[in-house]
Amino acid sequence: MNSVQGKRKWEPYVWLLPSFALIAVFVVFPILIVFKLSVSEISQAGVIGDFVGLQNFRDAVKLPAFKTVMLNTLWWVLSVVGLSTILGFIVAMVLNQKFRGRKIARAILVFPWATSLVIQASVWNYIIKFEYGSLNNVLLNLGIINQAINWRSSYTVEFIWECGVGIFVTVPFVAFCVLSGLQSIDGTLYEAATVDGAGFWDKLWKITLPLVRPSLTVSTVLNIIYVFNSFPIVYTMTKGAPAHKTDTMITYLYMLSFYERKKGPATALSVIGFLILCVCAGVYMLGVMRKEEEL
Amino acid sequence: MKKLLALMLALVMVFALAGPTAFADDEITLDVIICQYGPNTNDWFLGSGMDGTNFVDKFEAENPGIKLNLEVVSWNDVHQVVDTRIANNNAPDILNLDTFSEFLPDNLLLPVTDYCSDELFDDFFPAFMQDFLVDGTYWAVPDLASARALYYNADILEQVGVEVPTTWAELEDVSQQIIDFYDGEIYPWGVDMTTDEGQACFAYYAWGNGGGFTDENGAWALNSDENVEAVEYVVGLVNKGFTNPNPATQTRYDLQDMFAAGKLAMLIAPNQVPTYIKDKGGDINFGTAGIPAAEGKTAASVGVKDVMMAFRDDEADQDARNAAIGKFMEFFYRPENYVGWVSMEDFLPAVNSAVEALVEANPSFAAWLDVLAGCKFYPTSMAEWAQVRQGVTTVEQEALNGGDVRTLLDALQAEIAG
Repeated sequence: MNSVQGKRKWEPYVWLLPSFALIAVFVVFPILIVFKLSVSEISQAGVIGDFVGLQNFRDAVKLPAFKTVMLNTLWWVLSVVGLSTILGFIVAMVLNQKFRGRKIARAILVFPWATSLVIQASVWNYIIKFEYGSLNNVLLNLGIINQAINWRSSYTVEFIWECGVGIFVTVPFVAFCVLSGLQSIDGTLYEAATVDGAGFWDKLWKITLPLVRPSLTVSTVLNIIYVFNSFPIVYTMTKGAPAHKTDTMITYLYMLSFYERKKGPATALSVIGFLILCVCAGVYMLGVMRKEEEL
Repeated sequence: MKKLLALMLALVMVFALAGPTAFADDEITLDVIICQYGPNTNDWFLGSGMDGTNFVDKFEAENPGIKLNLEVVSWNDVHQVVDTRIANNNAPDILNLDTFSEFLPDNLLLPVTDYCSDELFDDFFPAFMQDFLVDGTYWAVPDLASARALYYNADILEQVGVEVPTTWAELEDVSQQIIDFYDGEIYPWGVDMTTDEGQACFAYYAWGNGGGFTDENGAWALNSDENVEAVEYVVGLVNKGFTNPNPATQTRYDLQDMFAAGKLAMLIAPNQVPTYIKDKGGDINFGTAGIPAAEGKTAASVGVKDVMMAFRDDEADQDARNAAIGKFMEFFYRPENYVGWVSMEDFLPAVNSAVEALVEANPSFAAWLDVLAGCKFYPTSMAEWAQVRQGVTTVEQEALNGGDVRTLLDALQAEIAG
């Protein structure tokens, strides 16, 4: 028996090999290339030149829009991930109840997530358009407002809209992650808690949250990465205008590379972004794993 | 067995690397990238938009030794596609784009005279070619052009009882009257300072005030007094409420839609606007006029011309490759093909031989060709053009948010000209 197990020791690795090969070719290799580019001189046309050390990083940090863009990115990730996690959790709690039409409600929830982000952003562009936007049309026809409202009156408002669209498309993902966690909770736990006199909040804090934590961890870490790297919403709605005031790091480095043709600082920024993500995801995972060990 | 397998694998790899050219020595394949100008571009080059056939099939039938690997790429993606190919040492043979100067510092382009026949060279509008001359060599040829003018809604101006403005002061006066008459329901003037068109906005007002991107010696002069005044003037129009409300995010197409719907009284736009309005089903009575200038100054119309260029490939058989590129160009600019290309999306031609046929097909072309003759063009031959184009747009957008135009333009000039 033991000898058979010994012989099969290599088997898992064979099954994992295709995944490892794909990750190496499509993830690790491009990352290494970007690291190499970030310390190389790159011409406007994209020709790679000599090693220049950290010059690209110094140039990137000195860019006038750098601070604004970093702050925007922080707000973007915090608001979209934070609010969509809270809202997604609430939606999942609702969908976990038994009610008529629950299946339809669950199916509808998939739509925002399943539709392409470019289409979502374009549709929202039409909804909030000042001149012919459907939001103004509906409000005017219902008599709620007398005059069309300029929903994009300043860049702060535009950025809030972008975050709103980000939240709208992220909520379903969180909701489904949490819902799968909720469904795995044994109903007898709640029954026992009710018998012991626990109220709604007690059950939420002491049963539901601890038991869906693994699902929440997965959705939060993945969301931090997806939202940080999200390009289509900002690019479709404002292209970072005015003057990079609504850019996040990803759209900014694209503009920098392909519009302004400052490819050196752009690659440096993408390396900075990668490192930030590694740190965020790493710290979060470590914290959660430690807590799970304590449990 | 293992050795046999290894040998087979090695052979497969060798053949895979060698590619199809190993079997067809005489055949040349040209990688061509064309930008997507509109809904018909792809069909014309690759579908059936050229009288039932397409450019590639027709060309290959006429030139048996040359294969075209032609891609039509959207304007949004083309820079990314080209840059990635260059970074991977796989530049296209022929590229259609709006600029060429960014490829000069790396010596990536082939001089035009290496592949263009004298006959074709002489056919290009000489004024166009001047812009492609850098250090005594021509590096690109124009593939088409467009010109911009002021479009006005004649019914709106008539109802208000005003004439088409020719000066900046008249423009403000007319705008105020339109606002008063329609109680702000109709925007008098369209302004597009978006990321794609901010440079055009800069050109309209800077050139209309005697300024511009460069001085008389051809050096960057972005922070001239005239330019500062020009940007302050147009930002002033926005702040006074004479324009569409969000110029940093409302594109030219948004403005054209508003114009077609009678919501916007005047805008500066290219010669394709009449077709655009027709396609959108717009039912307005409009006219065209010159772009208004500052008092005592003359405005130039703004022209845009795109380019075709060929990249170097030091490993290829130079004579054969140059001849193949030359044949491509000759075929493309031959009147029977070129007229279809230009008129397909309502552009203006870049070669003399097409003018007669185009005017015959559409008499309104003649007036536009006159406009084109008086146009000023962006300084696309200067290596810093990409940064300048983005830089002036950022200045306008910063100024919209209350930034000081003088300080912003000074900073841009210092960054570009050192």
